[in-house]
Amino acid sequence: MFNQPRHFWDLLIGMTEKELKARYKRTFFGFLWVIVNPILQMIVIGFVFRFFIKEPIQNYYLYLLVGLLVWNFFSLSLSKATSSIVNERSLIKKAKFPREVIPLSIILSNLFHLMIAFCLLIIPILITGTFSIINSPKLFVAIIMLITFTTGLSLLTSALNVRFRDINFFVQAFLIIWFYITPIVYTINVIPRSVIWIWRLNPLTSVVQLFQNSLAGAAPPGPAMVSINIFLIIVLTIVGVQVFEKESKYFDDWL
Amino acid sequence: MTTGYNNMKHKDIAIRLTNVSKKYIVHHEKPTLVEKLINRKNEEFWALKDINLEIGVGERIGVIGPNGSGKTTLLKLITGISTPTSGTVKTSGKIVSLIDLEAGFHQELTGLQNIFLNGMILGMSQNELKTKLQGIINFAGIGKFIDMPIFTYSEGMKLRLGFSIAANSNPDIIILDENLAVGDRDFVIKSGKWMDSFIGSGKVVIIASHNMDLISRICSKAILLENGSIIARGTPSKVIMKYNCLSDYPRPIRPRL
Repeated sequence: MFNQPRHFWDLLIGMTEKELKARYKRTFFGFLWVIVNPILQMIVIGFVFRFFIKEPIQNYYLYLLVGLLVWNFFSLSLSKATSSIVNERSLIKKAKFPREVIPLSIILSNLFHLMIAFCLLIIPILITGTFSIINSPKLFVAIIMLITFTTGLSLLTSALNVRFRDINFFVQAFLIIWFYITPIVYTINVIPRSVIWIWRLNPLTSVVQLFQNSLAGAAPPGPAMVSINIFLIIVLTIVGVQVFEKESKYFDDWL
Repeated sequence: MTTGYNNMKHKDIAIRLTNVSKKYIVHHEKPTLVEKLINRKNEEFWALKDINLEIGVGERIGVIGPNGSGKTTLLKLITGISTPTSGTVKTSGKIVSLIDLEAGFHQELTGLQNIFLNGMILGMSQNELKTKLQGIINFAGIGKFIDMPIFTYSEGMKLRLGFSIAANSNPDIIILDENLAVGDRDFVIKSGKWMDSFIGSGKVVIIASHNMDLISRICSKAILLENGSIIARGTPSKVIMKYNCLSDYPRPIRPRL
């Protein structure tokens, strides 16, 4: 009954709408929280980290804001998607439907927020003049990399979390570390060559760098970094999709 | 096990289970990590063992058996909510479960938003739901509450709405248990009428129940499950008799009111 992609799409859109509507129910600021949150983070981090950074970064507040928006999309999507299958057990037990719509709808709702935030970002970017149309292919590549990586990893963690509930705690703990091994508040230049491999193993390095480069005028990531990151994203996404396909048949047994 | 499908054309089969077995891993309360490392082997439990079953179009099957005999597992495998450990389950047509009707509603969303969400979970498209919307609302008899969040609904209203969505999803096969009577007297009559017309239209009904009156009234065939195996199949009266013999104690005959 879900053979048609049309049905799958309908359900995915419906679930995404549910995510969006349910999240800001009975809040006064509603959608404004999407942008208020990263701006608050930007102000606090920007103020504190200025004391630690030796070489000043150009357009530091904009640089920070771009990185934070990307990071927030990633971390909110991943942390919410990981426990999503367990949280929606009543749906799983009700009927047969493509289970992937549950984590995908969370990512899609966060992507909607990210797009709104990027639209609002136009104002500071016009003021600083850091975006030109030549940068748009880079921006496009960055968005594709970000969505693919978030989707692949979320499918993996959400599927595994059904059987091993520790995954959720692990993800929450690891996200805190992950924030610091991603060049959001600093630039990659401050990292010594001896430990650069850690950043190469982190696919978000070049994703964040590409965003900062195309929107905030920062230096672009090196080709080695981009190619290793893309390779890792592809491998992880394939693993995520495969594990989800295999595990999703047996979700009901563990819920 | 031959059930005589050779003389049946393939298109007449709605559901076919071939050598279906289902294994569950038994979860113990809080196994310590040490215990888990020493005792690597998980405790297993076979809920269904080598089930062969064919249900033709127009058949109404009663599934009976003591608690823990595998009735729920069988229904889950047929609905596609769960997957067998071995064997195959083939179905043709849309299957809708009328068990746990109020499950899957989102408390914060309105009745209207929930109709769309729930309907799509049951396999309806956005357009289909739009055309059937008024019918669903009228059948449930929710009235003005349709724009209120679900958490303001009474238990009966939620069940009525759940039934109405499922009934309007145009199923070919329905799965239910004995708790079909939902809502007040008027709604019981309404849902009873819908059931009668569904049965009359020659579609498939699968009922898991301990209510033998219901089984013998509705079903054309019955199967008896015990410890995950089908130990009897045939006409409801024959299988119910077998079930009564199964028990050590004579089953009390329900007083007729």
